[in-house]
Amino acid sequence: MAKVSIFKAVITLLLPLVCLSFSPEEPTDRRILVLVDDFSLKSSHSIFFNSLRSRGFLLDIKLAEDPALSLQRYGQYLYDALVLFSPSTDRFGGSLDLAAVLDFVDSGHDLIIAVDASASDLIKNIATECGVDFDEDPSTVVVDHGSYAVSESDGDHTLIVSNDFIRSDVMLGETEIQAPVLFEGIAHSLNAENSLVLKVLSASPSAYSADPSSKLSSPPTLIGSAISLVSVVQARNNARIMVTGSLAMFSNRLFRSGVQKAGSPNKYPKSGNEQFVTELSKWVFHERGHLKAVNVTHHKVGETDEPLSYRINDDLDFSVEIYEWSGKSWEPYVANDVQVQFYMMSPYVLKSLSTDQKGLYHASFKVPDVYGVFQFKVEYHKLGYTSISLSKQIPVRPFRHNEYERFITTAFPYYGASFTTMAGFFIFSFVYLYQK
Amino acid sequence: MVRSTGNDAQALFHALRSAYAATPTNLKIIDLFVGFAVCTALIQVAYMAIVGSFPFNSFLSGVLSCIGTAVLAVCLRIQVNKENKEFKDLAPERAFADFVLCNLVLHLVIMNFLG
Amino acid sequence: MVVGNAESMKSDLLSSLSIRWIKLKTKQQEVLIRVSILCLVYILAFISRLFSVLRYESMIHEFDPYFNYRTTLFLTQKGFYEFWNWFDSESWYPLGRIIGGTLYPGLMVTAALLYWSLRFLRFAVHIREVCVLTAPFFASNTTLVAYFFGKEIWDSGAGLVAAALIAICPGYISRSVAGSYDNEGVAIFALLLTFYLFVRAVNTGSLAWALASAFGYFYMVSAWGGYVFIINLIPLYVLVLLLTGRYSMRLYVAYNSMYVLGMLLAMQIRFVGFQHVQSGEHMAAMGVFFLMQVFYLLDWVKHLLSDTKLFQAFLRVTVTCAVGVGVIALGVGTASGYISPWTGRFYSLLDPTYAKDHIPIIASVSEHQPTAWSSFMFDFHILLFLFPAGLYFCFKRLSDATIFIVMYGLTSMYFAGVMVRLILVATPAVCLISAIAVSATIKNLTYLLRTKRKVSQTGSTEGINGAKASSKALLDRSQPFQKNSAIALLFGAFYLLSKYATHCNWVTSEAYSSPSIVLAARGAHGDRVIFDDYREAYFWLRQNTPQDAKVMSWWDYGYQITAMGNRTVIVDNNTWNNTHIATVGRAMSSYEDEAYEIMRSLDVDYVLVVFGGVTGYSSDDINKFLWMVRIGGGVFPVIKEPHYLVNGEYRVDKGASPKMLNCLMYKLSYYRFGELMTEYGKPPGYDRARGVEIGNKDVKLEYLEEAFTTSNWIVRIYKVKPPNNRW
Repeated sequence: MAKVSIFKAVITLLLPLVCLSFSPEEPTDRRILVLVDDFSLKSSHSIFFNSLRSRGFLLDIKLAEDPALSLQRYGQYLYDALVLFSPSTDRFGGSLDLAAVLDFVDSGHDLIIAVDASASDLIKNIATECGVDFDEDPSTVVVDHGSYAVSESDGDHTLIVSNDFIRSDVMLGETEIQAPVLFEGIAHSLNAENSLVLKVLSASPSAYSADPSSKLSSPPTLIGSAISLVSVVQARNNARIMVTGSLAMFSNRLFRSGVQKAGSPNKYPKSGNEQFVTELSKWVFHERGHLKAVNVTHHKVGETDEPLSYRINDDLDFSVEIYEWSGKSWEPYVANDVQVQFYMMSPYVLKSLSTDQKGLYHASFKVPDVYGVFQFKVEYHKLGYTSISLSKQIPVRPFRHNEYERFITTAFPYYGASFTTMAGFFIFSFVYLYQK
Repeated sequence: MVRSTGNDAQALFHALRSAYAATPTNLKIIDLFVGFAVCTALIQVAYMAIVGSFPFNSFLSGVLSCIGTAVLAVCLRIQVNKENKEFKDLAPERAFADFVLCNLVLHLVIMNFLG
Repeated sequence: MVVGNAESMKSDLLSSLSIRWIKLKTKQQEVLIRVSILCLVYILAFISRLFSVLRYESMIHEFDPYFNYRTTLFLTQKGFYEFWNWFDSESWYPLGRIIGGTLYPGLMVTAALLYWSLRFLRFAVHIREVCVLTAPFFASNTTLVAYFFGKEIWDSGAGLVAAALIAICPGYISRSVAGSYDNEGVAIFALLLTFYLFVRAVNTGSLAWALASAFGYFYMVSAWGGYVFIINLIPLYVLVLLLTGRYSMRLYVAYNSMYVLGMLLAMQIRFVGFQHVQSGEHMAAMGVFFLMQVFYLLDWVKHLLSDTKLFQAFLRVTVTCAVGVGVIALGVGTASGYISPWTGRFYSLLDPTYAKDHIPIIASVSEHQPTAWSSFMFDFHILLFLFPAGLYFCFKRLSDATIFIVMYGLTSMYFAGVMVRLILVATPAVCLISAIAVSATIKNLTYLLRTKRKVSQTGSTEGINGAKASSKALLDRSQPFQKNSAIALLFGAFYLLSKYATHCNWVTSEAYSSPSIVLAARGAHGDRVIFDDYREAYFWLRQNTPQDAKVMSWWDYGYQITAMGNRTVIVDNNTWNNTHIATVGRAMSSYEDEAYEIMRSLDVDYVLVVFGGVTGYSSDDINKFLWMVRIGGGVFPVIKEPHYLVNGEYRVDKGASPKMLNCLMYKLSYYRFGELMTEYGKPPGYDRARGVEIGNKDVKLEYLEEAFTTSNWIVRIYKVKPPNNRW
């Protein structure tokens, strides 16, 4: 017994060391590959990089053309996340290409794409595959004559401000971002067919996407709040993707710069960029908003073992534990909107789960009077959180031949009649045989 | 018309009664048994009409046990009746043994079906 | 086989001729010959059904037998109570199927009992072998029953001939070769046994025989849905006897005790349940039962009363009451829905066009089609001509028993004409009646031959009684060429019978011994090519897919997938839920994206299609496709048959309709087929089953991916992709 506990202790001590990389147990990313067009970005975006490093990430900054570039070796991914700060690359070095990046995402890894006016088709295509369409005209940038940042030099209103954030504490942190975010770059829109992509930072209604150096000859294709400045996608496998048209947004320059929105008296000494980007990156790299559901159990009321099947009209208990990753440890997730379905082609039972505040969710209900192969389904899709969709199959069988009600009171006359006839038969036989 | 029908019925009844008096005792016993079984069946049907046919299998087994017994008894009656020339070479003992066998099967099945 | 049959023919000759040679112990000799012939016929019936085992291997055939095999396996492993209460979650996903309550357990219990008794006797057999040989074993037993039945209705000679005829009759062999482990295999035995015991009960008027016949009926009910034929034929027979004034006390004893006991016993089968008192199909029997009581009562009263005038009055009152009560009961029962109306299958028997118009799912099965003349010829051969002759002999010597066999023969022949598979039911009757014809004819002829030589011998042939009269009549008008013509006729008869034997032999070996799960074809050099694609595919499913994977296929393959692939299916050959089948039909006939929605809602993981374009195997899914459209369209009117046809013509080449060229079934069948050269001198993508070049060679799949295609492309399995990760 003592040995076992020592062993357990050793394991618990070793575990964080062993599991340095992303795993279901430790969802936060560890190793991040950053691809840049040239290494000057290292210094110009150093605040962002350093904030990542200080949060414990291992950054690997490489040139996008690096011929030794590779995301995986021997079928294992070397990185947990990819940051594409290389807008003008039209061909990656090494084995990396469009398909490799998409495979990386489809196997559950995270991605940040930031471009600027020089965005190449390759990067745009990656974004398109993620449900985000950049403005096709390469010369356009976002122009906003309504809510541009007041500054001395800029006269064409391409450095714009926005504070039209998505309302989600999970994504953007609990402290409200006071200062608006400075944005300088190209516009993108969300593909209407994609149901997973979300606009995190939207442009103001007065924004449009055009070439500021030439006169507008035709109405711009992207205008107003259809323009998204920063978008995120949470894929079905919970990989998170962030796309923005402004690489400058991450730069030291805009981090440090003060901001005053045109026509607004409020002047902030520091833009909201740092807080916005840091908080959003926490979300993208799974430091926040990651849920896990474990220990799905169900059993008949009064029993503890999980049966192989239920009988119709059985009473059952269903429970599941849901935890939220806080960045360091799993904390109980508390909510009152988790529901369980007892489902066969359509939900026969839909019940809210009650929580004990310690992560355990529980419901008990009666199996419907229908047999078939049912599923316990927990479908929990909440904005900002990883989606939980659990299903557990369980057959529901009808009564066995000996489980029906017996000795029904109304039937007693029939029983009586049967036995009387039987007795009558014996008496009759007796009388008949001995009457002579 | 009514009177004549009543007379007819009376005459019929009398004729039947006098004819029946000549029946051997063993056949009378069988008739009694058949009558008992049929009555039980009728009572059950009436009862079913009142309370509804819910435990349908019980009802069926109750009624069928009576009807079955009655039918078998009638068969026995036919076979042991000496007036029936068709069954001359069938010994009454054999007929009775058959009857007992069928009844045993009948009641075993009824037992299975009752609950 | 020829030897066996000819021998049995010769037996009649021998049994009568031998008397002349050895005068001592004639009787024993006859018994000996009869028993040895029966033994030979018994063995013959068994071994002539083993072609499929020799040609292929010991395996279960076709579709339904796989379900029977699976349930038998379950029964032997888990015991009877588990079997009785089995809720199968592997078929009809997600509805499931209560196996115990929706099957006829007779076959499985029989096989399990055989298995257990063999085990008890220390024969280490596998349950599959037992299942494979169950049908031949019961076919052998049927020959015995046929002998006794023939003996009961005519004489022992007719019985022997009947046994020999039924042993090799193709109509019966088609359903009872080794490996054809289906309900019919034991049901025909049970059917004939019930009829035999009932006729026996009517002839003797004994309660014991009636009880035995009730048990026969019980076994039949437990084995096959065709028991409805019995429960309608017997009342009809009784009714005919009543109407023709052949009512007797024996009939009363036989019918009533058989009906009451048989009905009670039948109710113990869960699948049948209360149908005997609730369904319209069984009401005839009940009506006749009550009619018999009234008849008996009248008879009794008539017997008691000497006064006819009084009896007339009584008769009037009773009949009026009885008819009134009967009509009211029937009317109330039908109106209140207590007595269920006739089912579609029943209607389709009475009106062959009914199914085609109303129930496509019944009409889609090839064995439910009306019978073609050729298949009558194929299955009965000379029996078809002997049948009317036998009827003639039966009418010449009318008795309760011959009336029964005549009615059985005529009704079952009608049903055989309506549905191909019901030829099976007619076969025993046809064999028996033909046997009467053969036996009576040969007996007359041989009698003629012998009496010419030795007239005094007549007395010693005791078995012959009916034939005696007619042959005597022949003798009286003795003609000079009588002997010669008799010999010629005898030879003619032997020639015909030996032809029959060769025909049966040929049909059995060529047509009815194919397991249809393994296909055989002749190669270019006349060698035999075996296509074992089905089992390859099912084995792949078993080995390479997750345990709880759901496979969607057309219902024909459901039983095989669950039995051999051990995977959950959406629909299978037990076509109890039309909507569910229609959903699958709809998925197959929709465009890929619409089908994907349906498949997602049914949690489908794999789709299996059968495709014969490479091998020229014609019963594949493309040829069955119109039925999928019809069945799907019957429930979902968005699927319309004309969309898949061009000018009323069904085609898959360039001229096919655009919907046809892009529906899921087409895509799955012809995916990558456009690149394939199937036949020398033909363009790539040449469909050998339909003999055309396909119209859409560039099939792209978006929501499915090819998972497995068997070596001859007969079975193709596709995996349903999960929804797009980023969309």
